[in-house]
Amino acid sequence: MSELDKVRREMATVLQQVGVRPDPSLRITRRTFVHKSCLVGAATVAETFAWWPLLNTLDVAYAAEAPFKFAWISDTHLYPKSLNTRFVDKVVRAAKEVQAMSPPADFLIFGGDLAQLGKVEELELGVEILKEINIRKVFIPGEHDWYLDMGKKWGELFGQPNWTFDHKGVRFVGLDTVSRGPDYWTAKKMSPEERMGHMATLDGTVAGPWAGVGRDQLDWLAATLANWDRNRPVVIFSHNPLYEYYPPWNFWVRDWREVNEVLKPYTKVTNIHGHVHQVLYNEIGTMRSIGMLATSWPWPYAPEGVPKLTKPMIRVDPGDHFDGVGWEKIDVSAQDKVDVEYVMWRKQVLAQSPDDYAKSIPEVLRPRVADSMWPY
Amino acid sequence: MGMTASITCRFILFRAAPAVALAVLVGPAGAHKDPVTPQLLNSYQQVFMEQVRKGDLLFHGDAATEEAMGVVLSKTGMACAMCHPMTADTHPATFPKYQAQMAKFATLRDMINWCIEKPNQGEKIADDSDAMKALEAYIYWSQSGSVLNPGKF
Repeated sequence: MSELDKVRREMATVLQQVGVRPDPSLRITRRTFVHKSCLVGAATVAETFAWWPLLNTLDVAYAAEAPFKFAWISDTHLYPKSLNTRFVDKVVRAAKEVQAMSPPADFLIFGGDLAQLGKVEELELGVEILKEINIRKVFIPGEHDWYLDMGKKWGELFGQPNWTFDHKGVRFVGLDTVSRGPDYWTAKKMSPEERMGHMATLDGTVAGPWAGVGRDQLDWLAATLANWDRNRPVVIFSHNPLYEYYPPWNFWVRDWREVNEVLKPYTKVTNIHGHVHQVLYNEIGTMRSIGMLATSWPWPYAPEGVPKLTKPMIRVDPGDHFDGVGWEKIDVSAQDKVDVEYVMWRKQVLAQSPDDYAKSIPEVLRPRVADSMWPY
Repeated sequence: MGMTASITCRFILFRAAPAVALAVLVGPAGAHKDPVTPQLLNSYQQVFMEQVRKGDLLFHGDAATEEAMGVVLSKTGMACAMCHPMTADTHPATFPKYQAQMAKFATLRDMINWCIEKPNQGEKIADDSDAMKALEAYIYWSQSGSVLNPGKF
């Protein structure tokens, strides 16, 4: 049995015990997973995928003292304009659309990977573009923002990487899942650019399993939630998913067991995360996890381990920069429901038939070789 | 002992004539007659893996390898692996096939060049170039467990 299989089995044993599910008040209903523009023909789609729970109308008991919306943008991976403007164009579009929301969103979460190589000019370009949005903005870091200067510039611009606030009956927590990578660079005398290069490679192996929350932040999380009613909703933002999803691409946090220990007592936990650049939905213990789109480019699904509750995107057209990407609106209604809407800029993005879904299935992939044959 | 040697010798002589005629048609006579040693197989494998390694570096946008091989695969900062981690979604086992983006029947090499020219805005490489062979080696090696399914959309 491979190491990955062992982890998967352990995860299933620890987290997916019989009868444990997110609180029934967070029941998934039939609404909104299909983008509004896809609703024509939704009847047949719903029939095709009747066995596939549709994502994203979450019924939150005790939530929303008053209705509100918030927005999420992440994974913009900005290069300097001198190199290319395709990613810039999409962040500009997302910023305009968030600013145009009516009624306006209460706040914007930026979910990490603002920059591509962590450069000052990339981070500042992001700040400049997001100035268009006049509402409150809160940021969590991605690994691309961090590993050139170990978070120095990011901290100057956005402050503490983890934070918490309460808003209209919901406790929001921002977690830093990127800064606790093991030191693989000092002994090898890597330059900051080399270190960043390894972090910026999704399928790279030199950096090892870098994604994690860390003991001190776990303690902070436990303290932050200690005075919160266990039956009231908690929404946790993180760059990486808070459960095991395909470790070879670091689509996970390595201390998911400890994260689960802290969150287990709370019955209404929603984790909203970036990093995966794809539609993703999972339920782990009492927590639901929702993966968000990037504005930059879509990742393909991992060759194995995609949560079975995910209703996947189809493969996108690589010649169309606006295909398979976008941002999200999250609507907390007075009826205690949370709708997450994927604002996708192209319409045919969700699997419309088993034929579409099957497109990405039969691949068998191997990890790359160059890392192990390099001087590192 | 002498008898045995003699018989063997005659047998070889008897078999040699058509073998020589065939060798003239297909190439050096020794090529398929030398025993293939484990060392030889190992050296073939090393040649292959060296191409895989070069292809891996090209696929991941390694500037030094691109320069050494005289190619410009991207001018946008994009690298193949940014959309295709571990070559995911390249589907080499489905080529040749009708490729919608190009609106034509295409080989994997056509698709590699399309990605170099369009998303990456790099410079097209020759079909028989070292860089193309290396990229192809890496992509096929990465997906060597996938089922061959040519023509699948």
